[in-house]
Amino acid sequence: MKTLMLKLEPVIWLLFSGGMMIGGLLLPVFVLVVALGGGLGVVGGEALGYDRMLALVTHPIGSLVVLAAMALPVWGGAHHLRHLWIDFGGLGSDSLVGFLCYGTALASSIAAILAVVRLHA
Amino acid sequence: MSELRPRVDAMKPRAPMPTRTADPRPPDKFPSRGRYPSYLAFGACGAFLLLSAQLLIRGVWALGDGEAAWDAYIVSFGHPVYLAYHVAAFIGLTWFALRLFRLFPATQPNRMGPMKRPADAVLVAGLYGVFFTVLAVGTLFLGGALL
Repeated sequence: MKTLMLKLEPVIWLLFSGGMMIGGLLLPVFVLVVALGGGLGVVGGEALGYDRMLALVTHPIGSLVVLAAMALPVWGGAHHLRHLWIDFGGLGSDSLVGFLCYGTALASSIAAILAVVRLHA
Repeated sequence: MSELRPRVDAMKPRAPMPTRTADPRPPDKFPSRGRYPSYLAFGACGAFLLLSAQLLIRGVWALGDGEAAWDAYIVSFGHPVYLAYHVAAFIGLTWFALRLFRLFPATQPNRMGPMKRPADAVLVAGLYGVFFTVLAVGTLFLGGALL
């Protein structure tokens, strides 16, 4: 198991660092335009309309970008929260918290993949 | 003369045993002084990454459920709790990204492939440029002002 984890380490770190980088670049755009712009009614009508959004997300490049913006940041976020817990003295319960954090990230990644795949089905 | 030599095994335990270590404790001034607040705030921004990505997943899932579900998803963001969260998330994620890019040069080796690593200021300026370009172009594109 330890050998397997060592072999997988570059992949795992790619999830964490890629999650921070992709999340930091793409999520502010989503929050600003869709969540705040749509919620306040500043951006609306055709721009955030169903047909346009569906066309954007089902485009091959759009699918990849949206998938990266959903599936990678959850790993970066989970990793940060786990270490924040350790910093505040939670080392004793690290196994449980690590399981919850990375389990959430794994479940979210699967949900993200399914969400995109079923748009193409 | 040989009697003056130190006896290196003088403190050796009689049987092998684990090295005794002090219990872990937080560093001095943790968490309120020095660089700890910004370090911890950076870690706490992980919550924005996790939650905002979850909300995006919910949105793509709503797209798959049809037009009514998508419209309800957009309308739900008008709730004051969502608005407050997203204002905080936008500020938090922007600060998180800029701090990440400011720290980025320290994580890089002296050589990047065949090239010598650019000066830290050049790397940081480039990454800041990428961030603000993605934010501007992404906002205009997603907002319908481009294409």
